[in-house]
Amino acid sequence: MTATWVQVLASYLHLLAVAVYVGGSVAMEFVLGPAQRFVPPAQAQILGQRSADRFLVLVWGSLVLFPVSGMLLFFSLSDQHLITHGDMLSTSEGRTLLAMMVLWAVLVANGVLITFVFRPRLVSRAKAQGGGARVAGHLESMQRAATWVSRLTRIDLAVALVVVLLGASLAYGKGIL
Amino acid sequence: MTRTVLGYLFTVEWAVYVGGALFMELVWRPLQRHVPPAQTGALCNAMGRRYRWLALGSLGLIAATAIAWQVAGGPTLRASGVAGGGAAAEWRIAGLVAVWVVLVALVAAMGLLVHPRSHARHRPGEDSDELRRLRLRSIRFMDVLLRVELGVALAGALVVAWPLGSAPGLAL
Repeated sequence: MTATWVQVLASYLHLLAVAVYVGGSVAMEFVLGPAQRFVPPAQAQILGQRSADRFLVLVWGSLVLFPVSGMLLFFSLSDQHLITHGDMLSTSEGRTLLAMMVLWAVLVANGVLITFVFRPRLVSRAKAQGGGARVAGHLESMQRAATWVSRLTRIDLAVALVVVLLGASLAYGKGIL
Repeated sequence: MTRTVLGYLFTVEWAVYVGGALFMELVWRPLQRHVPPAQTGALCNAMGRRYRWLALGSLGLIAATAIAWQVAGGPTLRASGVAGGGAAAEWRIAGLVAVWVVLVALVAAMGLLVHPRSHARHRPGEDSDELRRLRLRSIRFMDVLLRVELGVALAGALVVAWPLGSAPGLAL
């Protein structure tokens, strides 16, 4: 049996999306993050901002690629009955697929929070008007934002690992839910 | 269930390896243009040490998982329900073993030989110009090896991602 080019392309893109998301998060958290201690704090902050900017582009690319390549793979394997024939809740495969979709939505929601809520707070500059109290408030807001970005990044990594487990259960079995 | 867990571990380990290599190329390399050279050196040194263990650890776990998977009877072909994979799986195994060996050799060469040389310290009595030339040569060689490693890792990901039980050809 030979695979169709759509199956090969979809599988490859799906794996690359997982690699960029999971592997990139691991490298960001466990390789670049700890290495920032070796440069002065101001430089580490610039480095953190620039690396996060670049990595967020990759993250959004992966988040778009997940459903696109997943659906391509799904239809190329003729599994569309799981969606179209109401099998989504009545079969283990359908429930597993539904859970993957829900968790993907969680990743997107966290991505939106990081990109559009917390990151702008981290890179914004304090305004001179209002004096020291305003600057202190701004710094506190930045610290809170940094804590939330760190928390959400770790939650995202854990959620992504669960999504991969669900995906593996579909690839090598018939789902686990 | 065993096959699902092993398939999961195998996928995550490849993802960590390939994702790490992509991160280095697409995030870290362009970032170096915005960091002063002395700090780039300090960061490279610290990141290189951690990345070396992450990469070698992933490759070690990939091998352990693959062996456990074969002991457990190999991946079950989802489409046919056949365990093991038969003749169609042999090319995948051969391809993955070849990719794995090349990657281990590349990571070991970079982590144990080339990377330490690019951060070599000056010793009394040593020619500092010669040391600088050695460092620059090692950095250039490291750049080439990193790109070769990324190419091999991406080729390996294609073999990993190839639909189970399929021969190398394409049904167009």
